[in-house]
Amino acid sequence: MINSLYIAWRYLVFNKVRTATLVACITLIAFLPMALQLILEESQQLLQSRANSTPLLLGARGSALDLVMNSLYFDDEVPEIISMQAADEITDTGLAYAIPLYIRFQARNKPIVGTSIDYFDFRNLQIAQGRMLAVLGESVIGAVVAEEYGLAPGDSIVSSPDTLFDLAGAYPLKMTVAGILERSHTPDDQAVFVDLKTAWVIEGLGHGHEDLSRTRDSSVILNRSEDSVTANAKLFQYTEITEENMEGFHFHGDASIYPLTALLVVPNDAKAATLLRGRYLENQQYHIVRPTEVIQGLMENIFRIKRVIDAVIAIVGLATVLAITLVFALSVRLRQRELTTIFKLGCSRMTAVKLIAAEIVIIVLAAGIICAGLLHIVDANAETLVRMFILN
Amino acid sequence: MNAKFWQIIVSILLAVSFTASADEKLSVYAVNYPLAYFAERIGGSSVNVVLPVPSGIDPAFWEPDASVIAEFQRADLILLNGAGYAKWLKHASLPRRKLVNTSAVFQRDYISVEQTVTHQHGPGGDHSHAGTAFTTWLDFNQARMQAKVILSALKKQRPQQADVFIQNYTSLEKDLVSLDQALAAIMEQDSNKPFIASHPVYQYLARRYNINLKSVMWEPEIMPAQNQWDALQQLLATHGAGWMIWEGQPDKQSVARLDELDINSLVFSPCANTPEEGDFISVMKNNIREIEKAFQ
Repeated sequence: MINSLYIAWRYLVFNKVRTATLVACITLIAFLPMALQLILEESQQLLQSRANSTPLLLGARGSALDLVMNSLYFDDEVPEIISMQAADEITDTGLAYAIPLYIRFQARNKPIVGTSIDYFDFRNLQIAQGRMLAVLGESVIGAVVAEEYGLAPGDSIVSSPDTLFDLAGAYPLKMTVAGILERSHTPDDQAVFVDLKTAWVIEGLGHGHEDLSRTRDSSVILNRSEDSVTANAKLFQYTEITEENMEGFHFHGDASIYPLTALLVVPNDAKAATLLRGRYLENQQYHIVRPTEVIQGLMENIFRIKRVIDAVIAIVGLATVLAITLVFALSVRLRQRELTTIFKLGCSRMTAVKLIAAEIVIIVLAAGIICAGLLHIVDANAETLVRMFILN
Repeated sequence: MNAKFWQIIVSILLAVSFTASADEKLSVYAVNYPLAYFAERIGGSSVNVVLPVPSGIDPAFWEPDASVIAEFQRADLILLNGAGYAKWLKHASLPRRKLVNTSAVFQRDYISVEQTVTHQHGPGGDHSHAGTAFTTWLDFNQARMQAKVILSALKKQRPQQADVFIQNYTSLEKDLVSLDQALAAIMEQDSNKPFIASHPVYQYLARRYNINLKSVMWEPEIMPAQNQWDALQQLLATHGAGWMIWEGQPDKQSVARLDELDINSLVFSPCANTPEEGDFISVMKNNIREIEKAFQ
C-alpha cells in the first residue's frame, strides 16, 4: 500500500496543475457550506445573546430592525429621532426605567454612544483602567477601541464631523478619555461612550464660548442692548471642554425636546413589560419592540437564505463530484498505455485500482487539511467577519 | 420528617438573607442640607445620608471634583432639589435611575428670577441668581412636599421598611406643618410690613407667608460699598422697610450703619448647608423667633 501511495504521490506531483485544480475544487465545495454554517452560528449567537439581554427598546415608529441594529450593535443606519420627553414618559409610568441612547456620531470610525451612567450598570460594564465618566466632555472607550488606537486614560479622541464640507455645522469635539472598559466581547468593546449631554454638544445643541458680557474684543459683537448681546460668527467656540471653560458650556432651548435615537426600557417585571407594550400599541409616535423577536425574525430570514445557498452548493457539489469522476475516468483512459505497462510487468488489476484509489485518497486528504485550516481561520475570526459582513 | 427538616432549613436561610439585606444601609446622597435632613429623619437607621459639601460653602454654587461625582454615582439614591439648584449638575454625569427631583411635584410654581448681577462670596467663586429661585424649602409646605417625595423614593427602595418610613415621615411632617403655621400666624399680624432681604434667596418664603419683601445684593460678612448704600436709599424711598433679613450673622459695621437709617437686622438662615449647631428644625425655629422680633 505504501508503494502505491508513493507512486500515486509522484504521479500527482508530476501533474501539478491537474492536482491543484482537483484539490481546490474539493476544498471549496467542502469549505463553503461549513464556513457559512460557522459564520451564521456565530452571528446568531452574537445577535441573539445581545438581544436576549435587552428587554425592550422604544423608538420612533418605523423600521424595528434599524432601531435594534443601531441601539444594540451600534450600526451606522440611524433610526428616526425621538425626544427626551419619551424617557420622561416611560419613567412617569412607574413600570420601568429608561436608559436614553443617542447613537449618531463617530470618532475615528467608531460609534459614539451618548447615554447615561445607567447603561454601564445595566450592561454590567466595568472600568479596567482610569475611571467612569464624571463631567461633560469626557469619554469612556471600549477595549478594542483602546487597543486599535493605542489610547490610555488621559488621552483624547476627536469626534468626526457630521459632513466634511458642512462649514456651518458643529465643530468636532475633542473628548478626554476618562477610562477604558473591561473587554466584554460585545459591541460595547468597539464603542466610544459619552454622556448624553456631550453627544448634544457634538451635535451643536450645546456649546461653549467666552462670556459675551465680558469680552474685550468688540469686533465679535454684532449688537448690544440692555438685556441682550448678539455675537457674530467670529465668536470663538470651544472645541474642547476643560475644567476652565466648562462653566461657559450651555444648552439652548427646552431639554425635553433634545434628540435621542432610542430608549432602552427596563421594566420592573414581566407584567410591567406587557402593560407597557400594550400602552404603546396604539401610539402613533413611538413603538416598543422586543429585540429578541426582531432578531429571531432576522435570523429566520438569514437561515431561509442559507437554505437556498445550501441547495445551490449541493448542486454545484454534485456537479463537481461528477466532473472529478469524469476527470478520473478520462485520466484512466489517457493512462491506458501506462496501465498496460503495469500489467505487463506482472501486476494485478487490483494494483491499478490501488494506485488510482491512492491518488484519490491523497487529493481528498490534501483538500481536507486545507479545508480544516481555512475553517480554523474562519472560526478564529468569526466575530470580526460577522461584524464586517452581517452587522455592518 | 425529612420534608419538615428541609422546610425549617429553607425558612432559616430566607430569614437570614432578608435580615442581611434589611441591615445593609441605603446610601443616600443629597445636594443640600434640608434634603439630607429630611432623608435622615425619614430613613432613620436604615439610611446612610451623605452631604459631601464642605462646611462654609453654599451647596448651590459648590463644584465637586470627579472623585465626589463618582461617590454620587455609586449611591442608591441621589436627592436633587430641582429648580436649577446645584449648578454642577448641569455638567455632571449621574445615573438617571437614581435621581430624585424632590421639587418636580410643584415645578409649575417655581419662581423665575431676572436678577443677573454676578457676584462672589465665600470660596464658591463668581455666581448669579438668574434663572429660577431655588430655596424651595423656605416655604415649609413645599418642604413638606419635598419630604414626601423622599418618603416615596425610600419606600420604593425598601418596601419592607415602608411602615417605619411612614411613621418617621409623619413626625417630620408634623414639625414642618408646625413651622408653617407658626410663621403664617406671625405674618398674619401685618402682611404689609415691608422688609428688605440682604440677598435674593427668600422668594418662596415671601410668597408663602405674604411677606412684603424686596432684595438687595449684600453679603453678611462684607461691608457694602457706597454705591450699594445709595441703591438702598433709593429702594427705601419706595419701600420703607424697618428690618433687613440677613442670611448669616451680619458685619457689625453694616448693622451699625443700618441702625443709623432706622433699619434693624434679623438673621433668617436658609440653612442650605449643615448648621454648626442644631438641625434644620431648630434653625428654622430660631429663624421664626427672629422674624417675630419685627412684630414686637
